Amino acid sequence: MSPKRYGMSIDVDRCNGCGACMVACAVENNIPPAHAGVNERKGTTWIRVYKVDNGEDYAGKRSAFVPVLCQHCGEHTPCASVCPQQAVDVDPRTGIVGQMPERCLGCRYCMAACPYHARYFNWFDPAWPAGMEKTLNPDVAPRMRGVVEKCNFCHGRWHAAKERAAAAGLDDIQPGDYIPACVEACPTGALRFGDLNDSATAVAQDAKRPESFRLLEKIGTDPKIYYRSRKDWVRQIASAPKNKESFHG
Amino acid sequence: MTTTRRGLLQFLGGSAVGALFTPAPWRLITDTALWSENWPGIPRPARGEARYKFTNCSLCDAGCAVRARCIGDQPVSLAGVGGGLCPFGLTAHHLPFHPARLKEGPVKEAAAAVTSAIANRGPTEHVAVLDLRPGRTASWMYRQAMASIPNGTYLAPPEPLVAVDLQKARTVLSLGAPLLDGWGTPSKVFAARDQFRLIQAEAVESRTAALADVWLPVAPGTEGALASAVTGEVDAADAARITGLSAEQVERLLNELKENGPALVVDSEMSPAVVDANVRLGGWGHTIGPRPQAPTPDAWNKAAPVADLDKVPNGSIRVLLIDESAAGAYLPWAPIEKKLAANALVVAVAPYDGGYARHAQYVLPAAIYPETMDDIPPAVDSMAATFRLAAPLVAAPAGMASVRELLGISDGLRERADAIHKVGQGLLVTYADGKSVAVKDLKADDFWKALNAGGAWTGDTKLPAERRRDEARRGREESLRHVDPEYPFTVVTERRVAGLCSPALSQIYQESNLRLAPNRIALHPSDASRCGVADGARALIETASGKREVIVTVDSSIRSGVVLAPGREDVAFTSAKVVRI
Repeated sequence: MSPKRYGMSIDVDRCNGCGACMVACAVENNIPPAHAGVNERKGTTWIRVYKVDNGEDYAGKRSAFVPVLCQHCGEHTPCASVCPQQAVDVDPRTGIVGQMPERCLGCRYCMAACPYHARYFNWFDPAWPAGMEKTLNPDVAPRMRGVVEKCNFCHGRWHAAKERAAAAGLDDIQPGDYIPACVEACPTGALRFGDLNDSATAVAQDAKRPESFRLLEKIGTDPKIYYRSRKDWVRQIASAPKNKESFHG
Repeated sequence: MTTTRRGLLQFLGGSAVGALFTPAPWRLITDTALWSENWPGIPRPARGEARYKFTNCSLCDAGCAVRARCIGDQPVSLAGVGGGLCPFGLTAHHLPFHPARLKEGPVKEAAAAVTSAIANRGPTEHVAVLDLRPGRTASWMYRQAMASIPNGTYLAPPEPLVAVDLQKARTVLSLGAPLLDGWGTPSKVFAARDQFRLIQAEAVESRTAALADVWLPVAPGTEGALASAVTGEVDAADAARITGLSAEQVERLLNELKENGPALVVDSEMSPAVVDANVRLGGWGHTIGPRPQAPTPDAWNKAAPVADLDKVPNGSIRVLLIDESAAGAYLPWAPIEKKLAANALVVAVAPYDGGYARHAQYVLPAAIYPETMDDIPPAVDSMAATFRLAAPLVAAPAGMASVRELLGISDGLRERADAIHKVGQGLLVTYADGKSVAVKDLKADDFWKALNAGGAWTGDTKLPAERRRDEARRGREESLRHVDPEYPFTVVTERRVAGLCSPALSQIYQESNLRLAPNRIALHPSDASRCGVADGARALIETASGKREVIVTVDSSIRSGVVLAPGREDVAFTSAKVVRI
């Protein structure tokens, strides 16, 4: 089995900010509905779509929607290097940055270290309206209060794909057999997923397009999420948000 | 060697310090964390073999194909077939467990009251059904039932009379339609998106405006003036004056529609003015045509037409049965109320007690998608007739009611499927294997079984050369409105699926403010400042009809003088004021 480098490409010019990716992620990963007092600071959104704009007023204003999830940093993964519990690991077989909630102490060093604000602290015990727990995904365990959680590229799906491949007598997961829930749900086709090491995949080709960029590329974390947009102002925001108004969620 | 007290204490102290450098305390912490992960308060998902069921989503007319992953008989996730799903469709399997759902009601008592009221009403008194989702087979059954009852009246919100083909368009002018945000069938719209240039005329920078090639920020409610400019009813200068655009912008738009054809003009409800504009652009029979209907049995010809509410005499409706089981557009209650007799019996069959329930004497619980057996009217972007069943994924709980049961009629779905099979044209697509089969090669029973197992029938596309001009004109207010100082804002609504939403949508309504939650409005920063409200502040929004408390979002993509509010289209373009609490 050759080592993979799973990554995602996101076409910002195609994302309409519908939120299907966020909701699909919550359903897949058993993220409970928010408690009454939860706001955007205490919410648990493994993938969050931010509305960004060019800073102009009304008629000159142009907005875009930027889905931000764990960037699965390949180099000097900040969250992994600060975790005192070794609750974060980078899987060399897949390049996926995983989070093990059973090891997590809830110290939130990783949240402070993450330059993408893509980690979320579980402030509440997981609870669903009566009966709705029947709809939970059996492949993912609900996490307890007091731990940090984040996107893991739907690791349960990776395991399932691996089992399917093994059952079929294959050494490797077939391309397209493993897709995270957000990519599957996206009605606009803005999200693509695949092995960045395989130049035949659409995501590897997207990564090499001239309009492609990564968030905060200059800090050298080698993220595996590639965005693309033909709009200059969107690319500029990716490196340095100008002010609070131009990068609000 | 003697053991002293000092030596013992040194040993214990040294052991304690040394233990810190062993894995033991970390192991203890890990085990504590593992234990806490499994404490009784944390739900354990049911386990078992995963099976897949297929159906069509009936939350809106797009009717997206759905694959449900089930453990036992319970769906645990929904996904699209051949495309994604919207957030509402993705979480539809949560709806049966919504805390606000009605679980019981006085079904027998209401049925007796309806029977008695129908039997004992006066000779001029009407029995009416209000169907929020016309175009379904259930709607045909209501219309037949109303045709068979003296003074039977069928009421429904207006349906689009036309359908469009985005695949054939090279330029699309959208007059405030949420074209890229749930207006048509998402998979079809986005499959065609790269083929056409999109010009969005709208008062706010909506999701569609944000993704459009050109956004024309017009005054609220004046989008129709651009359709009139296309038909030549107003010239470019007048259209510019009405919309607040420059004459050059309007001229450029008109030129682009003429030169970069085929061009298509759309609005939310495909109003006659928009149809006229498409006819003028030469699109009739090409990019736009009559909305097709799947065949119906010959016996259904005796169906009551959709009644014009204005022509129903005031105070004449003795019995009003409201079907809210399928999400759809709401008609304003005030004009309906005028038509009710003094002793009118109003029965709402609804999955929850919002909507019309507060006006009804009896509110009966209804089954909800994905429990119901229903079909889905053709989508506005389908030029071919379709027949798609929303077959139930889970069984409905006991005690649910339906308007059909109150009227003693069947659902008509099998009869309709047989009528389609009898005509023998078109293709059946089955979702499980993705295969297409000609209907003429199938037996009637197999056709019906395939539809129930998740499939869609699509008829042949037949486009007429000429347009039937039998629909009444229904224009929007297109002039610059007079601003009442009492209500200085114009309400623009952001479309959302009516009815219950999954609690999981807190992801987009509460844990992020990606979409405007039902209790939020958005204002331009200058308006917010004038009203003395800040981002996140509580305020009252007041119209002539009433007021409600909301949370304010300050957003400079909203035009000054406009309030963006989520919800029903019937409150669009009304005047309002915002008061700080």
